[in-house]
Amino acid sequence: PQRHGALQVRDLDREVKNLIKHTSGIDDEEDHNFQAALKFAWSNFRFHRFLDVDSHKVQRTINGIYEKLMVHSDLSKAESWMRLSGEFLNSPLPNTEGVKTDAHHGVLALLLFLSDCPSNASFSERPRLRDAGRFDWAQYLLEGEDVDPGPFPDTPEWSEESEEEDGQQPLSREDSGIQVDRTPQEDHEHHNKSVPVAWKVGEPDARVWLEQHVVTPYWVSHAPRFPHSLHLHSNLLNVWDQHLYNTDPLYLPEEKVFVTESQVIRETLVWPGLCLLCQNFVFCLSVCCSHEFVCSFCFLQNCLRSLLEHIAAYGQAVSRLQKFVDEVTGYSPETSPPGGSSSSSSSSSSKRGSEPPFRTYQAFVWALYKYFISFKEELAAIERDLITKDETVTLMAVLESLYPHLAQIKVLHKVFCTGVADVPPGTPNVVRASHLLNTLYKAIIEYDSVGEASEQALALLFSLWVETVRPYLEIVDEWIMHGHLFDPAREFIIQRNKDVPVDHRDFWYATYTLYSVSEAVDGEEKLSDAASGSSGGEQAASSRQLTMVSFLKPVLKQVIMAGKSMQLLKNLDCKEAEQHEGPARDAERTSLYMLFLESVQSRLRRGEESPTDTVTEQQATKRSLIKMQSIVARHLELGDIHDPLLAINFARLYLEQSDFHERFSGGDIIMDRSSESVTCQTFELTLRSCLYPHIQLRYIECCGNLMRTLKKDYRLIEYLQAMRNYFLLEAGDTMYDFYTAIFDKVLEKESWQQLSFLNVQLQEAVGQRCPEDSSRLSIFLETIEPTRKKQPINNLDGLTLSYKVPWPVDIVISSECQKIYNQVFLLLLQIKWAKYSLDTLRFSVSKRFDGGHEENPPKDPVHQQIHRMFLLRVKLMHFVNSLHNYIMTRILHSTGLEFQHQVQEAKDLDQLIKIHYRYLSTIHDRCLLREKVSFVKEAIMKVLNLVLIFSDRWQAGFGAWKIESIEKMESDFKNCHMFLVTILNKAVCRGSFPHCKFDLNS
Amino acid sequence: MASAANTNMNAVRETMDVLLEISRLLNTGLDMESLSICVRLCEQGINPEALSSVIKELRRASDTLKVSEFNSLSVSFIIMDQLGCFFL
Repeated sequence: PQRHGALQVRDLDREVKNLIKHTSGIDDEEDHNFQAALKFAWSNFRFHRFLDVDSHKVQRTINGIYEKLMVHSDLSKAESWMRLSGEFLNSPLPNTEGVKTDAHHGVLALLLFLSDCPSNASFSERPRLRDAGRFDWAQYLLEGEDVDPGPFPDTPEWSEESEEEDGQQPLSREDSGIQVDRTPQEDHEHHNKSVPVAWKVGEPDARVWLEQHVVTPYWVSHAPRFPHSLHLHSNLLNVWDQHLYNTDPLYLPEEKVFVTESQVIRETLVWPGLCLLCQNFVFCLSVCCSHEFVCSFCFLQNCLRSLLEHIAAYGQAVSRLQKFVDEVTGYSPETSPPGGSSSSSSSSSSKRGSEPPFRTYQAFVWALYKYFISFKEELAAIERDLITKDETVTLMAVLESLYPHLAQIKVLHKVFCTGVADVPPGTPNVVRASHLLNTLYKAIIEYDSVGEASEQALALLFSLWVETVRPYLEIVDEWIMHGHLFDPAREFIIQRNKDVPVDHRDFWYATYTLYSVSEAVDGEEKLSDAASGSSGGEQAASSRQLTMVSFLKPVLKQVIMAGKSMQLLKNLDCKEAEQHEGPARDAERTSLYMLFLESVQSRLRRGEESPTDTVTEQQATKRSLIKMQSIVARHLELGDIHDPLLAINFARLYLEQSDFHERFSGGDIIMDRSSESVTCQTFELTLRSCLYPHIQLRYIECCGNLMRTLKKDYRLIEYLQAMRNYFLLEAGDTMYDFYTAIFDKVLEKESWQQLSFLNVQLQEAVGQRCPEDSSRLSIFLETIEPTRKKQPINNLDGLTLSYKVPWPVDIVISSECQKIYNQVFLLLLQIKWAKYSLDTLRFSVSKRFDGGHEENPPKDPVHQQIHRMFLLRVKLMHFVNSLHNYIMTRILHSTGLEFQHQVQEAKDLDQLIKIHYRYLSTIHDRCLLREKVSFVKEAIMKVLNLVLIFSDRWQAGFGAWKIESIEKMESDFKNCHMFLVTILNKAVCRGSFPHCKFDLNS
Repeated sequence: MASAANTNMNAVRETMDVLLEISRLLNTGLDMESLSICVRLCEQGINPEALSSVIKELRRASDTLKVSEFNSLSVSFIIMDQLGCFFL
C-alpha cells in the first residue's frame, strides 16, 4: 500500500538516516558529520537533474552486461545474471504491488549505477536456502508452548551437552579451559560481514592476534538467519526477534552475539591472567554489546558494559603491575612501548646484563608476585565453582566476592604509580629505592590512620613493605655485622666512597656519603660528611625535610655509627686476630631481617588465641577481659567515676576490637597483625618495637666493642693523657725542664730560637721520663712576621709542639685538635714565662741596698724606688700567680677531670670525638682564647708583658731605674688591673664567665 | 490469512535474496541491510541515480573520516600508553 504525505516523508527520513548510519558508520545523529550527510542526501534526492528510470534503458543495460559477460566468456556469470535479473523483475517487492514495476527497474538501475566492474569480480552464485523448513522447526517446536523466558539473568543454563550436540571440537584454552557456548553458531550466511564495525578503526593485527591466541571469537557474529539459542534466558530475545521477523519482511536480524553470563564471568576471571589483553577484551565486549540488541535490552547492555569497563580498569592496573613484574624479572622480552612510562624499569632491565640487580625492585616484585599468586588461586577457585556448577554463580556475586581484591589492587596500583612509574627515567637507584620505600611507608601510615576501614589494604601494604625492605635490611645487616657495605646496585642511602682507605685518618668523616632525596626538588643531594652523624650534618638534613628512607630515619645515626665502627673494628681486628674470622661466621647468628620478622610475628601474635584450644581461648578472653576491665576501671577512677558495669562494657568494646586479625604471608611465615595496637601510629610502634631494638642492640655492641678496642688495644686514653701532659703542661716536671731551659736562655740574652736546641731540650726532658713519647714529640718554630714581635711576650709565638698520633687514634686527636692544644700551650708557656721571670728575680741587689742603707731615712728616693719596685713586684707576682693557679687548676684540671669522666662513658666513636672537641673548645674558651673575649686576653697579655719588662729592668740593676718608668709601670698595671676587675666583675655578675672568678682583689 | 501473508513474506524474502545475489554479481558493495534500505527508498520514489551518487559520496566521505579518525585515535592511543593511564 502506498503511503502518502507526512507519513511517507517521515518514513523516508528515517530510511535516509538509516542509510547514512549504515554507510558512513556514524551512529550519533547529533554529530555534525551526520547532519551534513543528511543535508547532502536530502538535497541530492530533492534537487537532482537525473532522468526518471527508463525501463527500456535498464533492460538494454541488462542485455549489454550479459553480452559483455559472454564476450568475456564468463558463461556461468552471464547465465546467472540473466536468470537473476529476470527472476527479480518477476518477484514481488515488499511495498509494491505487481512485478516489473518502475520500482523494480529503479532498484536494478541503482545496482547498475553502483556496480563496479562486474566482469572482474569473482562471483559464484550461492545456493539460496529455502529456510522455511528450518524456521518452521523452531516455530513448530515452540508453537503452543507457553514460552517461559526464564528468570532472565540469574540462570545461565549453559550445559556441556548442548555443546556436544554441535559436534564441534571443544575449544581449548590453555590458561583457563574456557569453553564457549556455540549454540548460536550454526550455519551462517553472512561471512562477508563478519568483521565488526569497531574493528574498522584499525588494529587488524590485534584482532588476528586475538583470534589466534585467545579463543574462538564468539564475538564475531555468525548470526544465523533466524537466531535461536538453546539458552533459556535468551528465549525472550528469540521471541522478540521472531516477532520482528514475521511482521517485517525486510527485517534483518542484527549482528547479535550471545555472550552468556558464564562466559562473561569467566572472561572476568581470566583477565588478570591475560591482562595484556584486557583492553582488547573490553573492546570486544563493547563491540558485541554495541551491536544493537533489541531496544528493550538496551539498558541492560549499557549496564553490563559499564560494569565490565569498571573491571577492565582493574585489569589494566593488574596488567601494568604484571608487566612491571615481567620486566624486572626479565621473564618476557621487552614489549614495552618505546618511551613508555615504564621506561625507567625497562631501562633497568635493558641494562641488566651489565649491571648488578636492583634488589629493592626485585624484592618488591617478589612481593607483588606472591600476592598475585594468591589472587590467581582465588580466581581459579571461583572458576572451579563455575565449572562444577554446584552453586549458582552470577556476575554480580563474583564481583562481590572479588571486591576486596579489587580494592587491594587499587591500592597496589596507586602505590606502584607513585612509587615506581612516576619516577623519571635515569634516576639513580638510590633515589628510586628510597622513593619506593617511602611511598610504601607513607601509604602504610596513611592507611594505618584510617583504622579498621582499611585493614585489608593495610595488611597487604605491610606485607609488601616487609618484603620490599628486605634488601635494605640485609645491606644494613651486612654492614653492621661485618663492616662491609655490600651494595652493588648502589641503592642504599649510604654509599662508600671508594677513594678513602680504611686506615686513613679521614676515614671516619669522608668514607660514606649519605644520599638523601629532597622532596621539593626531587633531586639528589649529596650530603658529604653528613654521614659522620655529626651535628652539622644532621641539622642540615632535618632542615631540608628530606625524604630519605623514612623508616630508617630514627635509627639512621645508629646504623651509620654501627656500620662505620664495625668496618673500623674489622680493620683493626684484621691486624690482630684474623684467624678468628671463619667462613661460618653467619652460621650461628640470625640475620637482622629474620630477627625483625620474628619480632614482628611475636608482636602480631600477641593477644592472638590459639584456635585449636577453645577452652584456653575462652580463658584467655576472660583473662584479658578482666585485665582490660581493671585498666578501664582505673581510667574511670581517674575521672572520679566508679561504675563497674561501665568498665566491663568498655573492656568488652576494646576486646571486640582484637577480634579481627589480618592474615598475610611474609616469606614462609604467616603473620597476623593483631589489633591490640590499632589505636594510633601502630606501624611506627611496630617498627619501634620490632626493628629498632635490634639495630640499637647491634649498635651498642659494635660501638662498645670499638670503644673497648680503642681504649684497650690502642691506648686511646693514654694518648689523650699524653696530649694533656705535654700540651697542657700537666706533666709538670718534664715540661718544667723543657721550658726553664728556654727561659734561662732568654734571661741570659742568648738566642734560643734554634730548632735543634729546642728539640734537644724537649727530648732530654721527655726522654728521661717517658721514652716512648720522646720519639713522637717534636717542636717546631714557625716564623712569624716581625711586626708582631714588638712585645717581649710575643717572643714565644710560633713555638708549636707536635705529637705524632698513630692511626686509629688520630681520628680522635686530629691535627685540628692539636692546633687548639697548641694555642693553649702557647698561653700557658707565656704565663709560665712571666711567672718564672718574676720568681727568679734575685734579692741580692736589693739586699745589698738594704744592707748598706739600713739606717737611712725612708725618704731616700732610691729606697723609695726600691720599695715601690718591691711592691710592684709583689703585686705582679700576685696577679701572675693567681692567673696561673686559676688556669692550671680551676680550668685545666677540673675540665680535664670532667673530660676523663665523659671519655669513660662515651658510647661510640662519634660521641668520643664530640666529647673531645667539646673539651677542647671549653678550655679554649676558658683560657680566653676566643675572638669574642680577646680584649680580656689583651689586657692580660699587657700585664704579662709588663712583668717581662719589669724583670728585665730588675735584672739590669737599680742604676738603670728611673722613677718615671716605675710610675709608668705602676700606672699601666693599675689600669690593666682596674680594667680586668671591672670587666670580669661585670661579667661574673652577668653570669657570662662563671669561670672567671679568679681572685684579682690584690 | 496468516499463511497467505507468510507466503508473501517468504516471496519478498526470496526477492531480497535474489537482489543480494545481483548486487554481489555487480560488485556493488551493498550488504543486505543497505540493500533493503535502498529498496525501500527506491520504492518510495527516490531517484536511483541520485541515490547512487549519494551512496558513493557517503562512502568516500566516511573513508576519509575514518582515516583521520584512525590517525587521531592511534595518536591518542600512543599518548595514553605513554602516560600509562589507559583507563577505559
